Amino acid sequence: MTDSFDDEILMRRVDGELTPEAGAAIDAAAAADPALARRLEQLRGLRRLAREAFPAAPDPRDDELTRMIMAGAAPSGRGRGRLADAVRAAFAPRHAPVWGAVAAASFVLGLSIGWLGQDRTPEGFAVAADGALADAGLVRVLDHDLAADGADSEGRAVGLTFRDGAGRWCRTFQSGEAGVAGLACRRDDAWRLEALAAFRPSGAEVRTASADTPPTVLAAVDALIADEALDAAAEARARDAGWR
Amino acid sequence: MDGFQTELVALLPRLRRFARAVCRSDADAQDLVQATVERALAKRGGFRPGTRLDSWAFTIMRRIHIDEGRSKTRWGRVVTPEDATTPNVADAAQADEGLRVDALAVRDALHRLPEDQRLAVALVLVDGLSYAEAAHVLDIPAGTLTSRLVRGRQTLIQTLTEQGVSA
Repeated sequence: MTDSFDDEILMRRVDGELTPEAGAAIDAAAAADPALARRLEQLRGLRRLAREAFPAAPDPRDDELTRMIMAGAAPSGRGRGRLADAVRAAFAPRHAPVWGAVAAASFVLGLSIGWLGQDRTPEGFAVAADGALADAGLVRVLDHDLAADGADSEGRAVGLTFRDGAGRWCRTFQSGEAGVAGLACRRDDAWRLEALAAFRPSGAEVRTASADTPPTVLAAVDALIADEALDAAAEARARDAGWR
Repeated sequence: MDGFQTELVALLPRLRRFARAVCRSDADAQDLVQATVERALAKRGGFRPGTRLDSWAFTIMRRIHIDEGRSKTRWGRVVTPEDATTPNVADAAQADEGLRVDALAVRDALHRLPEDQRLAVALVLVDGLSYAEAAHVLDIPAGTLTSRLVRGRQTLIQTLTEQGVSA
């Protein structure tokens, strides 16, 4: 009975490469044939172990690669040095206390080279030339959502909310669909990006603030936070007051 | 930050996982990921928006890996015992924490598969690509992909059974 199924068709079954009908036929045969069931289970177990052996986990070195990717999109017609100078000029006052203090500062620079001078893009994340977040969906979430709300339909959620040394409101966020997490702070009635990193949700539950937050973002929080992150009640009050 | 960049950043964990599946040492995997990102940025004009960035990036990684393999020692052929164990020890300190013994055995067994089979198994079993997607990345016919998968898996199961690991 087992002879009627070769290894290839069983592997196709396990890999989801058969039509539902063909798959059901194998399952039915396996239900009546312990040896066949055992072969299927062995293949399933191998697939499970293979995924377990190579988890897609965040790696600290991804931060450096992220910087490279952001910097790599500098418009080719413009010199990197000039852009970097422009970025420094634009960001120096705000980041003066941060420069050199944490790795996150240079990350912000690398990121800035990527998007400075570009306007909103048709997909992904829109950032205005002055560094203000222009992604309407994310701005809405930062404006209105509370950490307890969890993620919206596109995986956007806020995490920690706190004030920085200058009294600005800052919030960490994640955008599951865009695959990024970051930190934005409020200035001149707009949210400005302070840090951004690759992000992959570990599960459907995104209510907890920092469990999934990339190290780059956490480092930026540590560098900027003046006191402590707000609790739920204080967060709601700050939101209701319009982030004044 | 545009969609290409966002997607590429989001792809990093999967690129690294694929690299770790095809390279035995963590350092080689890191080099491969970095070379892939560099080439992807340089060849960005070759990516057609609306198509799968993961397939495109995996294909770049596969090409770089194969090209390097031609100029380096072939896998599993001429390997000194030190070469075979040292990188694993380094990996263990870095990323194997909490990994079950069985999973470690699978990792080791996969690393000893012939190159062609290892790539096929890495794409389908580890990353979870469909046969069609994996064949596209490897630039081989579907039938070839299937036979490499079958042989690779048969070898893995045999190796693990001999080690007393029940898959």
